[in-house]
Amino acid sequence: MTALLDVYRKMFLIRTAEEELVALYLKEKIMSFVHFYIGQEAVAVGVCDALKKEDKVLGNHRSHGHYLAKGGDLKKMICEMLGKENGSSRGKGGSMHMIDRSVNFVGSTPILGSVVPLACGTAFEQKYNNKNDVTVAFLGDGAFEEGIVYETLNLAALFKLPLLLVVENNLFSTNSKLKDRRSDAHHVEKIVTGFGLTYVKADGDDYQGVFEKAKKLVAGARTGSPAVLECMTYRHMAHSGPIFDEEYREEDVVEKRLEKDPIKKMRQIVLDSGISEKEIAGVEDDIKKTVRDSIDFALNSAYPSKESLYTDLYA
Amino acid sequence: MPEARIIKFTEALKEATDQMMEIDKNIFVVGLGVTYKNGADGTTFGLKSKYPERVFDVPNSEGGWTGMAVGAAINGLRPIVHHGRVEFSLLAADQIFTQAAKWNYMFGGNNNVPIVFRINVGRQWGNGPQHTQALYGLFGNVLGLKVVIPGTPRMAKGLLVSALRDKNPVVILEPRWLFQVKQDVPAEIYGEPLHKARVAASGKDITVVAYGDGFIAAHEALSLIGEKVGVELIDIVSLNPIDYETIFASVKKTGRLLTVDTTNSAFSIGSQVISKVAQQKSLQLREAPTSVSCPNVPCPTSTALTEFYYPTKVDIANVVLRVMHEPTITRALTFEELHLAPTITIP
Repeated sequence: MTALLDVYRKMFLIRTAEEELVALYLKEKIMSFVHFYIGQEAVAVGVCDALKKEDKVLGNHRSHGHYLAKGGDLKKMICEMLGKENGSSRGKGGSMHMIDRSVNFVGSTPILGSVVPLACGTAFEQKYNNKNDVTVAFLGDGAFEEGIVYETLNLAALFKLPLLLVVENNLFSTNSKLKDRRSDAHHVEKIVTGFGLTYVKADGDDYQGVFEKAKKLVAGARTGSPAVLECMTYRHMAHSGPIFDEEYREEDVVEKRLEKDPIKKMRQIVLDSGISEKEIAGVEDDIKKTVRDSIDFALNSAYPSKESLYTDLYA
Repeated sequence: MPEARIIKFTEALKEATDQMMEIDKNIFVVGLGVTYKNGADGTTFGLKSKYPERVFDVPNSEGGWTGMAVGAAINGLRPIVHHGRVEFSLLAADQIFTQAAKWNYMFGGNNNVPIVFRINVGRQWGNGPQHTQALYGLFGNVLGLKVVIPGTPRMAKGLLVSALRDKNPVVILEPRWLFQVKQDVPAEIYGEPLHKARVAASGKDITVVAYGDGFIAAHEALSLIGEKVGVELIDIVSLNPIDYETIFASVKKTGRLLTVDTTNSAFSIGSQVISKVAQQKSLQLREAPTSVSCPNVPCPTSTALTEFYYPTKVDIANVVLRVMHEPTITRALTFEELHLAPTITIP
C-alpha cells in the first residue's frame, strides 16, 4: 500500500498540472486539443498504484492523468502540449498522444475504442514472451460502445491474456447522456461476463476502493484472467477544453461534482490519518512549484525545426 | 548452374514465411483460417504443425485481431497479419491506417511498428463486386505504410523477406490472380528492395509501367508485339514510395509511356505516374502518355460481363502498337485466358 501522503501527492500533481494547463490554454499558449482529466484523478492513481513498473499502460484522448500516474515525465508532457521539440513526441503528437516508454506508458490514442485491441496486443506480447506482466488500458463509457471493444473482450478471454480494461464512466460521451445512448436494459456487467471476463464496479471518486479492486483484478490478470473495472466518476470540465459547459448536465451538477471531488476527499483522508495541515500544505507548495517550473521550462524550450516535419514517418 | 526450382507464387510466400520464422522467433502469423491444412490458399501450409504456438486462427473480428497484432508489434513482436480479401481488411482500417501507420510519426520516432499485412486483392472468377476490389490507390495514399505489390513468385518471396526485416508497417497487396503463376525461385533466403521499381524488359521505344496481374498481362503482351517495337517493361513493385527515378530514366530514353491498371482509373497508380511524368519537362515526351485500366464500375460476377472488364494482353499489345503507329493485331482469347487464373511458368 502506497503511503497516503504519496497518493495525495500524485493526485494533487495531476490536478495542479491540469489547472495550470487550463490557465495556459486560456492564454492561447496551447494550440493542441486538450481533454482535461480534472475530477477523475482517483481512478488513474488508484489503478496505477496497483501495478509494478514493468506493467504497461495505454490511454485515450483524456490521458494526462494516466500518464502522470504511471510516472510519465511532467516536463516532457507539458513541452509536448506546447508543441516543443523536447516534448515526449517532439511536438508531433500533442495532448492526445502521450507516451513515456521509460515508465512503460506505451502510448495514448484518441480514436474511440482503438486503445483496447492495442492493449490486447500489448498483453499478447507479455504472454507470448512468458513475462509476468499485465497491461492496463483506460477508456471511457463512450468508447465502450465501439464494436471493436466487444471483439477484443472475446479475444482477451479466448487467449487468456493479462489484460485489465478500466472503463471510466463519467456519464457523458462528449455531451451525450447515457440514457440517449443505451437502452434501459443495457448491462455492462452482463456484456463483460458474457464474454468470459471478470467485472467489478468501483466508485471512481474513492482512491482506496479503486486501488483495492484494481489490485485484485491485476493479480487475476497476471494469471491469465482478463478483467474490466468500471469506475463511476465525473469529469468537471467539458469534453474538450477548459469550459464548464453545463447545458447538457442534469443531476451531475457542479455542486455535486465538487462535493464528491476525489482530491478533496483524499486530502481529508490524509488529514484524518494524523498528518498535519502544515505538512500537507508543504507538499502542495512543492508540487505547485514543480509544475510552474516545468511550465517555465516548456515556455522557454525551442520549437521543432522545419526539417523535423519530414522525419519519423518511417523508422 | 543450380537446378531450377519451379514453384508457385503461393509456395514462394509460404517458403519466405517458414524460413524467416525459423530464424526470428518474434514472427507469428495471425488470420482467419491460417491454421487450416491448406490455409490462406496454401501460403501458410504446414506452418501450424511446425510452429504450434506461433500460428493463430482467430474469430471473425478483423478490427480486434488486427489491432491486437499492431499492439504486439508496438511491443517488439513481428506479426504477419493475413487478410484473405481486401474488403475484410477494411474492417480493420483504423488499426492499419490510423494506428500502425501513424504510430511512429505521432510519437516523434523511436516507436516503430514492425508488422506485415498480407492482403489479397483483385480478380478471381465468380467473386463479384464485394470480393474483387484492389484498392491500390487507397493503400498508396496512406502515409506511414510501405506498400508493395509482388508481380512474380520471385518477387513474392523476396518482398516478404524484406518486409519481415523492415522496422515499419509493410502492406503486401497480393494479387490473387497470380497465385498459380510459377517461376524458378532461389531456395535460400533473399530480400528484394521494398522501394525500387524493377525493369523487367529493356526497350528503346515505349515504357510500359505495370504491377501485379497487369504486369503479367503486359509481360505476355510482349510476345504478341514481337520485335518490331522495343518495349521497356517496368514492374512498379512499390507504391509507397513510388520509384520515380527508374520510371523517369526509362521515359527519358523512350519518350513514350503506357500505364496498366487492373482496377478503375480514378486515383489509380497509372494516373499518379502519368501526372508525375507530365510534370517533368526534361523528359520531352514524343507522344501523349496513355493508359489502360478497368472501367469505372465495380467488377461484376457473370463471365459474360467480366469478359470486358480487365485489360488483356491483346488490349495492352494494341495500345502499344497504336502509340507506335503500327498495325494492331486480332487475336481471340480463350475462355480460360479470360476467366481463369494463369498457371504459366515465367522466366
